[in-house]
Amino acid sequence: MTQDVQILLVEDNASDAEMTIRALSKITMASRLLRVKDGAEALDFLFAEGAYSDRSVGATPKLVILDLKLPKVSGKEILARIKSDERTRKIPVVILSSSREALDVKECYDLGANGYVVKPVESGAFSDAIAELGMYWTVINEPPQPRVLLKQVTL
Amino acid sequence: MSDNKSVFPPEEKEKWAAELTIANNELAFQNGEKEKRAGEVIIANKELVFQNKEKEKRAAELIIANKELAFQNEEKEKRAEELIIANRELVFQNTEKEKRAAELIIANEKLAFQNQEKEKRAAELAIANKELAFQNEEKGKRAAELTIANEELAFQNEEKGKRAAELTVANKELAFQNEEKGKRAAELTVANKELAFQNEEKEKRAKELTTANRELEKAEADIRQLNEELEQKVIQRTAELESVNKELESFSYSVAHDLRTPLRAVHGYARMLKEDYGIQLDNEARRLMSSIMVNATKMGQLIDDLLTFSRLGRKELVRTNISMQELVTGLCDEIRSEDDKSKIEFRISTLQPVRGDITAIKQVWLNLISNAVKYSKLNEHPVIEIGSRIEGTEIDYYIKDNGVGFDMRYASKLFAVFQRLHDEEQFEGTGVGLAIVHRIISKHGGRVWAEAKINEGATFFFSLPKNTTS
Repeated sequence: MTQDVQILLVEDNASDAEMTIRALSKITMASRLLRVKDGAEALDFLFAEGAYSDRSVGATPKLVILDLKLPKVSGKEILARIKSDERTRKIPVVILSSSREALDVKECYDLGANGYVVKPVESGAFSDAIAELGMYWTVINEPPQPRVLLKQVTL
Repeated sequence: MSDNKSVFPPEEKEKWAAELTIANNELAFQNGEKEKRAGEVIIANKELVFQNKEKEKRAAELIIANKELAFQNEEKEKRAEELIIANRELVFQNTEKEKRAAELIIANEKLAFQNQEKEKRAAELAIANKELAFQNEEKGKRAAELTIANEELAFQNEEKGKRAAELTVANKELAFQNEEKGKRAAELTVANKELAFQNEEKEKRAKELTTANRELEKAEADIRQLNEELEQKVIQRTAELESVNKELESFSYSVAHDLRTPLRAVHGYARMLKEDYGIQLDNEARRLMSSIMVNATKMGQLIDDLLTFSRLGRKELVRTNISMQELVTGLCDEIRSEDDKSKIEFRISTLQPVRGDITAIKQVWLNLISNAVKYSKLNEHPVIEIGSRIEGTEIDYYIKDNGVGFDMRYASKLFAVFQRLHDEEQFEGTGVGLAIVHRIISKHGGRVWAEAKINEGATFFFSLPKNTTS
C-alpha cells in the first residue's frame, strides 16, 4: 500500500491537514497521499523504520509537504535528515508554514528545501496554492531517474 | 652304733671316715694356726701395754705444755688490752692533728690572699707614683706657658685701652644711628601691624576659600558618584527593558503565528460548507457564511500587520544612503499601475536624499502614500503632493492630500496601534499602518506628526536627521 505514496504530507494540525488533503484530492488519488501527524512518523516512513519497516527506502514519494512546527521532531530536523541522506536527498520538499519570518525561510533554503509556501489565512488562496504546488511537483516537474544500483561484476 | 651300721652301707662308712680324717687333719692344722695366732696376740698385747705407757707419759707432758700455753695466753690478753688503750690514744691524737692541719690550711689561704692584696696595692702605688711624676712635669711646663701668657695679656690690655678709645667714638656714632633706626623701626612697626592685619585677613580668606574648595570638591565627588550610580541604574534599567521588550516581541510573534492556524480553519470550513452545501442554503445563510469568511480574512490581515509591526521592533536597522526621489517616484508609479482607472495626480517636488534603512523607509512611504490614496478616493480630483525641506539639522518630508482629513482633536491617537479615526465600512484598514510609520521613524531618530481639517485633506510630516556621513 505505502509503496505507492506520491505525496507525503507532514502536518500535525487536523484542520490544516483536512484542507490540504481536500486541495490535493483535486490532482491526485487519495490513496496516493499519506498524511503523518508528527516528525517521528515522517522519518519512520521515509527511512522505512518502525511501523513502516516493510517498505523500501528506495520507493521515494514524488513530493514531501512539510510543516515546520511539529511535535517530537521539528520540520527543520526532518528536512535536514532528508537532505543529508543520499537515498532521500533528491525528494522535493516544500515547506508549508505559517511563518513568514525571513530567518525561517533562509534556514529552510540553507537546509535544501525545494520551496517555501506561507499558509494564507484566506482558504481559497490556501487551497489554490496547495493544488498548484501539488500539480507542479507531481505532474509538471520531471524528476531525476531513480538511481540504478549496478551489480559488481566479478571476473 | 650297730643300728647305724645296719643303716649305712660299708662303702659309705669308709668314705665318711676318710672325710673325717681329712677334717680332723684340717682342725689340727687350724688349731696349730690358732696357737700361733694367740702367741702373736700376746706379743701384740705386750706391745700395746708399752705403747699405753708411752701415751700416758706424753699426756703428762702435754698437760704441762698446756699449762705453759694458758699462762702465755693470759700474758697475751693483758698485752692486747694494753694495745687497745694505746690505739685509742693514737686515734685521739690523729683527730687532733687533722683539726690542726685544717686550721693551718685556712690560715695559709688567708695569708696567700693577703699577700696578693699587698702585691696589687704595691703595683697601684707604683702606677700612682709614675702619675705623680708625670703631673709634676706637666705643672712645670704649664707654669712656663702661664708666664708667657701673662706677658701676652699685658700686651693685649694695652691694645684694648687703645681700642676702647676708638670704640667710644664709634659708640657715639652708633647711638646716633640707633636713634635714626628707632624712628624708622617705629614706622616699620606701624607698617608691620598693617601688613600683619592684611595677612590675617588673607589667611582668613584663604581658609574660607580652602573650605569652599573642599566643599566644592566633595560636592563634585558626590555628583560624580551620583552620576555613576545613575549611569549604572540606566544601564541596568535599559538591560531590563531590553529583556522585557524581547520577551514581548517573541510573545507577540508566537501569538500572531498561532492565531493564524485556527483562523485559517474557520475560513476554510466556511468555504467548504459554501462549496459543498451552497446550493442547499438560502440567501441569508449564504450571506452569513460570506460574513464569516470576510471577517476571518480581515483578522488574517490584522495579524499580518501585527507581525510586520512586531518584526520591525526586532529588526536592526541597516543604514545606507537613500535617494528619496527615486524611491518615492518608483512607489507612486507602482501604485498608479496597480489601478489603471485611478485618477490620482501625484505632484512630487525635490526630495532630499537621506541615510537610513531602505526597506523600512520604503515601508513608511508605502503606508503614507496608500493612506493618502485611500482617504482621497472620494474626491473628484484627488491630488497628492510630496516634498521635503531642510530644517536645521533635520530634513522634513511631507505628503499632502485633498481627502477627507480628520479632526485635529484626535491627532494624538493617529499613530497608536489599532487606532482608527474613520469607520471601517467607508475606509478599510487595520489601524496598524501609521503605527508602523511611527515606529520606523522613531527608530531612525526622527519624528512624525500630522495636520488636517475635516474634509479639507491631511498633511503627514516626518523628519529624519540630516545626512551626516556620506
